[in-house]
Amino acid sequence: MRVEKCFVCSAPIYPGHGMAFVRNDSRMFRFCRSKCHKFFQKKRNPRKAKWTKAFRKAAGKELRVDPALEFEKNRNEPVKYSKELWDNTVKAIKKIEEIRTRRQDHYIASRLKKGKEIRKLADTVEVEKSIHLIRPPAAALKQKKQMVEVVMERDVDSMDVN
Amino acid sequence: MGRYRRKKMHKGDKPLKEKYRTKRRTRDLDLIHDDMKVPSSLLKQQVDLDKPGAAQFYCLHCAKYFIDNKALTGHFRTKPHKRRLKALEVEPYSQAEANRAAGMGSYVAPKQVSVIPQEKMIVAGNEDTSMK
Repeated sequence: MRVEKCFVCSAPIYPGHGMAFVRNDSRMFRFCRSKCHKFFQKKRNPRKAKWTKAFRKAAGKELRVDPALEFEKNRNEPVKYSKELWDNTVKAIKKIEEIRTRRQDHYIASRLKKGKEIRKLADTVEVEKSIHLIRPPAAALKQKKQMVEVVMERDVDSMDVN
Repeated sequence: MGRYRRKKMHKGDKPLKEKYRTKRRTRDLDLIHDDMKVPSSLLKQQVDLDKPGAAQFYCLHCAKYFIDNKALTGHFRTKPHKRRLKALEVEPYSQAEANRAAGMGSYVAPKQVSVIPQEKMIVAGNEDTSMK
């Protein structure tokens, strides 16, 4: 049994699912569902549709270069069954998957962090530029005037005491 | 609206299913990339009276036959042809790329391919024959 990958969206295709198109040069194209098949029939480029894995990788949305991605391969060699090998492989798969998800999450989190900084900067600029909407510039002058008056009164009082 | 006008207006009104039948399938971009490596076999075809223009006026990049040289050179100036040349500048999408995107290997950026316009290609071909 082999779990194939969809030509368009890279989703896993389990036996008995999706459909395959064999072109007249005998090249085979597998599709996970009719959405992907129709996409192919329309001759659209999977690199350019936002919902495909190929797009997400090309646009740098997901972790794309990592040693953890090098384990899964089509190995066209039969291996003789051994209980020990099987157990170890299953254990390794789980471990690798854990590492891969951790790195992927970290990648996405650090990618989103930049947007947060940019948004914060934009917010501060907006506040600086449009502060007059909530606090007119003349208010500052008025306040200054009042302060001066208070100080002068205090000076006068202190002089009286002397 | 006369009968003729009405007929012309609804020329392409067909269900998509019919349009995208395997029967009507045109050449894919990856196959055209293969063609571009050995253009001579397609640019100098034998006379085939069943093909438009007896298969003598072929656009390699659009995989299309034209009836005469005028139609072919006119086609080179059209938007769809220029768009096609642009699309061919990037390496074609493949199952290997789909597999890599699914987590079977790291990302490899598609390479750029140099596309020689057919007008220039024909000149080069003629020179080759004259030298021989």
